[in-house]
This record gives sequence, structure tokens and C-alpha cells, in this order.
Amino acid sequence: MRSLFNAVRTGISEIRVHKMRSALSFMAIAVGSVVFIDSFAAIFSMYDRLQKQKEVSGIARLKITQDYDQTRSDPDEYKSPPNIRYEDAVSLKNKLPGLYMVSPEFQNWHNTLEFEGKRVVTTLNGVTPEWAKRDFIYTLKGRFLDWHDVENKLRVCVLVKKAVPPPTNELDKTRMKQWDYTAAFDVMVAHNDMLGKTVKIGNITFTVIGVLEELPASRRPDIILSQDRDYKVLAPATTLSHYGFFDEEYDSMDLSVDAGNENNFEESLKLIENFLKVRFGGDEYFLIDNQMDAINEAIDASVKASLITISLGMLAFIAGGIGIMNVTLATVFARTKEIGIRRAVGARRGDIMLQFVVEAVMLGLIGGVLGSVLGYVWGVPVKRMLGMGASPIKLWMPAVSVIIAAFTAFVFAIYPAWVAAGLKPADALRTE
Amino acid sequence: MSISCSELSKIYEGGKSGWPALRGVSFDIKPGEFVAVTGPSGCGKSTLLNIIGLLDEPNGGRYLLNGRSILDMSDRERSDFRRDQIGFIFQSFNLLNRLPALGNVCLPMMYAGVPGAEMQSRARELLSKVGLKGKEKKTPLELSGGERQRVAIARALANSPRIILADEPTGNLDSSSSREIMDTLLRLNAEGITVIMVTHDKELAARVHRNLKMKDGRLEE
Repeated sequence: MRSLFNAVRTGISEIRVHKMRSALSFMAIAVGSVVFIDSFAAIFSMYDRLQKQKEVSGIARLKITQDYDQTRSDPDEYKSPPNIRYEDAVSLKNKLPGLYMVSPEFQNWHNTLEFEGKRVVTTLNGVTPEWAKRDFIYTLKGRFLDWHDVENKLRVCVLVKKAVPPPTNELDKTRMKQWDYTAAFDVMVAHNDMLGKTVKIGNITFTVIGVLEELPASRRPDIILSQDRDYKVLAPATTLSHYGFFDEEYDSMDLSVDAGNENNFEESLKLIENFLKVRFGGDEYFLIDNQMDAINEAIDASVKASLITISLGMLAFIAGGIGIMNVTLATVFARTKEIGIRRAVGARRGDIMLQFVVEAVMLGLIGGVLGSVLGYVWGVPVKRMLGMGASPIKLWMPAVSVIIAAFTAFVFAIYPAWVAAGLKPADALRTE
Repeated sequence: MSISCSELSKIYEGGKSGWPALRGVSFDIKPGEFVAVTGPSGCGKSTLLNIIGLLDEPNGGRYLLNGRSILDMSDRERSDFRRDQIGFIFQSFNLLNRLPALGNVCLPMMYAGVPGAEMQSRARELLSKVGLKGKEKKTPLELSGGERQRVAIARALANSPRIILADEPTGNLDSSSSREIMDTLLRLNAEGITVIMVTHDKELAARVHRNLKMKDGRLEE
């Protein structure tokens, strides 16, 4: 204990005497600390986002669509494949009440929407209240479609307001016409309070009962299953069928299903296949897209990205550690005579080793603290100033980084300290 | 503390077959003796002192310290032996310039685990004994050569050693300081401490019990 105390005291005086050398060591390890905190904050926000994604998208997801490839494969024996209809979705939900979500959906591409004399082009999606159970990245004004609307085929609709509507300058308008025929719709929803008003879609009048405002990018979890996310107008699937926007004789709906629980996902999958066989006389007409795999792949990719990030942080520490090692080695050679004197008056090898390790750990500790402060400054005010958004730095991150800094210094000081302890007293005393 | 050496040899690395510093040195030193080791530069005096003081190891021969062969001692045992039984005084003082006189004297006691308060009071007592009362806080750079050597003597006495090894202790000092240091060593010897001193100074050598004259790594009787 005493020798530890004395080593600390000697360390403090060494740091004080060799200000520049100490400052460089602090910086070497502090840079490691900054990178470490930054990468940990990045991983944390990635993990956080992933948790939100899982909450929003669910895990045990699958999508049932008509298998077009299958139906086309043999033109001679062409058999009109059965269509998935609204009733099939209802029946699936009734047969398998354990499923968290059965959302039938179809899209009608090219419709004219008229509001207060202005006409825009929009897509139109027929859905049920189940649609809102997953991938709901909106705030709702008014209300969403309910079962009453669906069962009574009411002419109500919900509009989707983009977080960032397309720009409206002339050049972009030309581009919009060329590439995004529905962009004018986004502009219209962005600039008009349409809630409670009536709109005309085709020749049918609908009441806007709700507006879904997309969350701003900063608060919006990325949807893992991001395909087909361009919703504009949502209306009850039954209403759209009834008014001829969708012909169930010719077109098939898609079914988005969430089994609710990843543990019984396989079992649910079998039950669904069985249901399709019984109801349609075979499940070969349908493509069951196992989206759980896609979600797990996305999670794996995130984990890999985290590993890369964390290894960068670790590399930065190793670089800092090498800096400490270099400085400690230089110190050992600069203080060889002192080592000889200490050995002559009775210091054991262990005492010498302790001396240099303690000094390096002190450099590491101070560097770690400095790095934590710099890491916070970089991660919060500076990043905010640069418009990058503050890193979610938790209190434990600098704490862990200080511990790792000290540990790194400890590990990298062992070799120089061992060199110091191994010097022969007589040889050490002879150096000038 | 008896010292018994026979056929000690030491070869430093370098050249084809190395450079021999000691070529078969044999002698005995009885407890309480004051022995001067004399001889021209490069004759192996300091090497012999380093070996006696366990700072270096011989390549051949036998060295018994209190009847125990030093070749059987571990590095740790040798360190502890140096700390508890041997006090060193060097020509160039070998003080830590960063530490005050008091700190330098405390150093051997620190490694011996002497409690703080006891360590401080003993260091003050020793500094006062060598005539440096009131200069405890001065660093070596603030002291004269003679004063530095007296700090070194106080340090050598810190753990009450049985042997003092002095390697040309007056080599860097003027004649009056030399006399004072020599008087101190004689006084310590009178108190029962074995003193082995390497010196060039024939006058100093004349004041001790026995001279070991060396030439080319051998003893001349």
C-alpha cells in the first residue's frame, strides 16, 4: 500500500516535471476515449433505433401474395389462380384468432383527387383498421378507419401527409411531373387543412376523417420492411370494392400478417399454409414471404455495423495505448540511472515495475477523463452545432471509457515496466 | 557480517572474448573491519565493490556473505539484503534530484515499509547526525558537493546497515570536505559497521585497517 502511495506521488511529480510529454500521452489516450464514446453512442442509438424498429414493425411478419410466376409457368395448362378477397382475410382472422394482425390490402395506382376545385393524381389503398397495427410511423389527426366504416362500406378516407413535402419551385415542378406523378398530392395535403372536408376521388365523394402525419425523420424509426411505403389515401377496402375502384373478380389482395410471437412463428406459418390449402384447394398459388428473415437480417446487419464501430473505438484505444507504451519506454530510458539508484537502496523488481505501471495508469486515467470531457463536447454541443444531432451519451459511457483508458495504459505499460525492472542495478547505475 | 570471496572473476561483454575486469580475486573481510580498495583506474575496484554490494554478479568464483553463497540468492533476496544490510555511497552521490534531502534519506526506509512518521523522524535524525539540520527541504541541486555526500551517507545509514560500501566517496570533493567525510566513515566504523571503501587517495587509505591493492583485475598483496 505504501509503495503504491509512493508510486502515485512519484507519478504526480513526474507528470508535473514533464508537462509536454505527459500532455502528449493524455492526448493519445484521450483521442481513443473520444472515438470510443462516439462509437458507443452510435451503437447505443443504433440499438435504440433497432428496438423501436422491432416495436413498430413486429418480428413475426409474413406477407401472402398471389404467386404470379407460378401461375404463368405453364401456359398450356393455364388455370386462373384464385384471388385473395376481403372475406378471406376475415376468415383467416376468425380461424386463427391468435394472429396479431391480418391486414388485407390492395393499391389502385392512378386516381384523380379533387379538392376545392383543384385536381391532383394519387394512389389509393384499400385497407382495414388492421393496417394501423404495424409500421405506424405517424401521428394521427382526426381518427383512423374503424370496423364500422369497413362493414358499412362508408365513403371515408384518411390522407397521409409527408414529413417533408416536395419543393414547389418551377424547376422542381417540371421534374415532379416527369418522375413523381403524385407529388402534387403531397403538396396539396401539406398546404391545406383537409380534415373533415370532402374530396372527390374519381366520381365518388369521400369525407376525410383523419390525416396521418409522418413523423419527422429525427423521430421516425426506419421501417425494416420499407417496400411499398408510399401511402397517400387510405379508404376501407370494402368501400373501394363496392364503388368499383377494385374488382375482386380480377385482382387479388395482399395479406400482411403478424403472428404476434416469434416463438410460435413456424407453427403459425403451418396453420396459415393449411388454411390456404383448405380454402383454395392448394397453397401453390401463393407466395408466402417470410419477412421475419428480412427483419433478422436487418438486425444482424446492425449488429455487424456495431461490431465494426466498436472495433474502431478499440483500435483508437490501442493507438493510444501504443502512445503510452512509447512514452513509458522513453521514460524508462531517461530514468535508467534513477532505476539503478532505487535498486541500490533496496527496491525490488516489483517495486520498479509498480512505479512505471502506476505512472502509466495515471496518464491513462487523466487522458480518459480528458477524453470523456472532449467526447461529450464533440458529441453534444459540437455535433448539434454542425447539425448532426446530439449523440445519446449516457453517464456510464465516459465512466467505462475512463476505466478502459486506465486498463489500456496498464496493459501497454507492462512491457516497458518489465524492461525497467529487468535492468541490472550495476548497469543502470553506470548510465548517465 | 563476514565477507568471503575466492577466485572471483568478472568479464564484461565486448570484443571477441569479452573484457575481463576481475581475474580471480580472493580475500576475506571480518565484521567491523575498515578496508580500502586501491589501485589505478580500470583495475576492477568498482566492479569488485558492485559485486560485494550485490549490484552485480560474478561470472566465476565464490562469494559467501555471512556464510551464504550469493549465487543461491534470488533477486528479491538480494534486493532485501541491499536494503537492510548494505549502505552505498557513490562518488557522484547518486541522489534523486527531484526529491529533497529528507526524501532521499527516506527512500530506503520507504522500500523497507517503515511507517511514515517514524521514517520522517529517523531521516531528520540522520541528517542532523551528518550536520545537515535545517537543510532537510533542500534538493541536492541546492546543496554543495560535501553536503550532497553527507545526504548520501545519511541515506546509506537509513536502515541501519552492517556494511557500508563507498565508491570513491571523496573523489568529487575538496580536501576539507574529504576530511569530514572520512571522519564520518571512521566514526561509523568505530560504531561497529564494516566499511569497504574504494579510493585513489593514499592519505585516506593510510587511515584504515587494511588495504586491498588491485592491478589489472587481480589483488597485489
